[in-house]
Amino acid sequence: MCSAGGPIEVDLNDPLKDRGKKYRCNDCGQTFTGLGKHPMCPSCQSENVTEI
Amino acid sequence: MPKTIRIPFTGDKPILIRGRSAFLLVARAKEKFPLVIETDTEELVQGVFPDDLIVVSAPEGGEVMPALYLLEMVATHHLPVIALGKNHPASRRISYVVSAAEKIEMRCDIRRGTHPEQHLLCTADEFAGMILFAEKNSLVIENCREEISASQLVWEISVAEIHHNFD
Ligand SMILES: [Zn+2]
Repeated sequence: MCSAGGPIEVDLNDPLKDRGKKYRCNDCGQTFTGLGKHPMCPSCQSENVTEI
Repeated sequence: MPKTIRIPFTGDKPILIRGRSAFLLVARAKEKFPLVIETDTEELVQGVFPDDLIVVSAPEGGEVMPALYLLEMVATHHLPVIALGKNHPASRRISYVVSAAEKIEMRCDIRRGTHPEQHLLCTADEFAGMILFAEKNSLVIENCREEISASQLVWEISVAEIHHNFD
């Protein structure tokens, strides 16, 4: 268990590496990296996206 | 014994959960929006949907107002959030962290502000293992080990621009 008083020493693998999948929005053409089960276009909020 | 508790939402008032020292501020997303998570190398985008939770955690406690500002920035104004690299020196200065997801697990073994995965949120040991989600009109908290108190936050913001001539 950690203490709440300082930086936490246990760590996941480098959290920022290779997260997310690349998608293209089928409505506006924007490409983006989506995270989680529900990728959503950051430009037009469409959920009509295809993994690329 | 860990237990499951349910706290009713009233309108869109945030729910304040207090433990011994840490606290959480919990709200439901009002509409769908793309949550943009900025890292030093890329931009990640996650869809947030109505009834997903937006949770601000203050692992060492602190003031409620800055937690409310952070909640509002994400929930109402859809501002991007930042995930730091794991050795970033700023992680020790982060007093308030935020997550938005359908179901959020409280963790005390991860470095603050470093994980873009929104289903995990840093907290103090007293809340570790708790899982939060919305069901019907209630906030459900599973694996609650400690005595916690819950209250609803009633607040109102009012801003006026008063024009002067400065010539
Ligand atoms: Zn789009």
